Amino acid sequence: MCAKQMDETVSEFFRRTILKIPLTEMMTILKTWNFLSENQLQTVNFRQRKESLVQDLVLLCEENRASLNDAALLDIIYTQFHRHQKVWDVFQMSKGPGEDTDLFDMEQFKSSFKKILKRALKNVTVSFRDAEENAVWIRIAWGTQYRKPNQYKPAYVVYYSQTPYAFTSSSQLKSNLPLLGQALTIASKHHQIVKMDLRSRYLDSLKAIVFKQYNQIFETHNSTTPLQERSLGLDINMDSRIIHENKTEKERVQRVTQEIFGDYPQPRLEFAQYKLETKFKSDLNGGILAEREEPLRCLVKFSSPHLLEALKSLAPAGIADAPLSPLLTCIPNKGMNYFKIRDK
Amino acid sequence: MELANTLSQDGESRGGVLAHLERLETQVSRSRKKMEEPQSAQAEESALGTRIHELRRLRDKLRAEVKQHQASVKASTTNVEPDQTLEITEQESLKRKWENVKAILQAYRFTGISGKLTSRGVCVCISTAFEGNLLDSYFVDLVMRKPLQIHHHSIPVFIPLEEISAKYLQTNIQHFLFTLCEYLNAYSGRKYQADRLQSDFEAFLAGPLQRNSLCNLLSFTYKAEPEGQSFPFCARLLYKDLTTTLPTDVTVTYQGTDALSTTQEEQRAAHENLFFTKPLHQVFTSFARKGDKLDMSLVS
Repeated sequence: MCAKQMDETVSEFFRRTILKIPLTEMMTILKTWNFLSENQLQTVNFRQRKESLVQDLVLLCEENRASLNDAALLDIIYTQFHRHQKVWDVFQMSKGPGEDTDLFDMEQFKSSFKKILKRALKNVTVSFRDAEENAVWIRIAWGTQYRKPNQYKPAYVVYYSQTPYAFTSSSQLKSNLPLLGQALTIASKHHQIVKMDLRSRYLDSLKAIVFKQYNQIFETHNSTTPLQERSLGLDINMDSRIIHENKTEKERVQRVTQEIFGDYPQPRLEFAQYKLETKFKSDLNGGILAEREEPLRCLVKFSSPHLLEALKSLAPAGIADAPLSPLLTCIPNKGMNYFKIRDK
Repeated sequence: MELANTLSQDGESRGGVLAHLERLETQVSRSRKKMEEPQSAQAEESALGTRIHELRRLRDKLRAEVKQHQASVKASTTNVEPDQTLEITEQESLKRKWENVKAILQAYRFTGISGKLTSRGVCVCISTAFEGNLLDSYFVDLVMRKPLQIHHHSIPVFIPLEEISAKYLQTNIQHFLFTLCEYLNAYSGRKYQADRLQSDFEAFLAGPLQRNSLCNLLSFTYKAEPEGQSFPFCARLLYKDLTTTLPTDVTVTYQGTDALSTTQEEQRAAHENLFFTKPLHQVFTSFARKGDKLDMSLVS
């Protein structure tokens, strides 16, 4: 049997992609990829040094005549497992008024999307992988008229069919963003696309925010109301000899916090950024800053491993007054974590 | 004579007399003791006897007291019992009534639209169904304020909730709920048909079923007889009306290179008509039954 020599660049791409995969996930990811058969996987020693393991796997890929698209698919799967390693932006599309019912055809969408990109850029690799909930993950490796696509800096798009939202991994090649937006809009039969002021590593949280799925607690007659079980987080097990002097205030803070943030787990964001362009305001008369005509510019950034949960805990912890500023509490509702504040 | 014996010797005579006297003394004391013993024993006996009598008397007295106390306690409890049982039955009947009402409220979801009052308004539950099968439930939590607001909901993002709210929420809440109900039930029904086709009739499909979020475009290649000689047809079903569970457009095509014979063309047209008029999974059920009928005819 004479196996066709795999293109060196493809072979290298395989090697580097497989090398990225942690040993603990290797089997799971390879099985999800479903390109190498069970028998083939059994012939490989997964306990050897990683470099040798990768070599063996690349050889198997060559045996199976793996193509660039197969490698791209593996890259998509790796990214799906490690989606937090990318920072995701959110785009919102809109249709014209009085549009017909959206009869979304996935195959048509894929072929249309690919065609638009290929027409504009001769060198581009576009790969698709269907995901749950009628969504699709798109991987795009950008090239130029004269250069082959760079497989090591791809852009990812996650699109849920018949929704106006698309999630894109912030590509380092920002110049291709308008083309990407155009391809998305046209292929999904929308008219306009706008970048939202929303960004995070946590793709699932972004989805929960824009799809308004973060609060899924509903009162029904069929369930025990969580309100009854909800303790005010105060003193269930506290010693009865301890009296809270400011109990009413604590309860008020708990109530207000619960009204604003609810009882559900908050979607996960890492920061909120406020760009202020406002004139100086002061209660004291005079001062140089108060006389200044031009607005002051400053940037305030709140960072946290879990920003919304941190904000939720501020008032109960006594660090801030309740209710918190609406600039902070409107984040999931407005679907924004970048704000520009100007004087009205 | 003893005296004589003791007097016979001088040395012994003194010892003899004194010893004799001693002997006589001890004799007397012994005999006196013997006379006293029965007396003291008797005294002891009588003392014990009286003590026994006293203790018996005390015992009887205490027994009588205990009996009396028990009797009085019994008397008091028999008076209390009837009241307590009355309370219990009242409690039980109230509890049963409450559970009954609760069960009725829970059963309301089978009507399709039910709700529960909340602190800020009402939480409406839309329970979808298709062909008598209870499917997913969706919620809309409304805030009773002017203007009426949706606090949060579980309506899928591809259902045009914003459109429907813009039209009806402020002016006619009934219409709002019924329209939403229509869309959700139709979506649930279409989804149910697509799911049934994928799971129950896999053998008839030549490739994966293509679908979308709203389940309003379905595309698949199928054979009316999974193992038979029938030709694979491609079906494309469009549901342009999102409030219906039957398609508005159906195209059945033959993917082969040869032209279709008249019977095959008839079959194709018949299938098209079937997809228009019957729910998807029922069409395939009839394909399966036809297959069974053919087998039966071969056997007989």
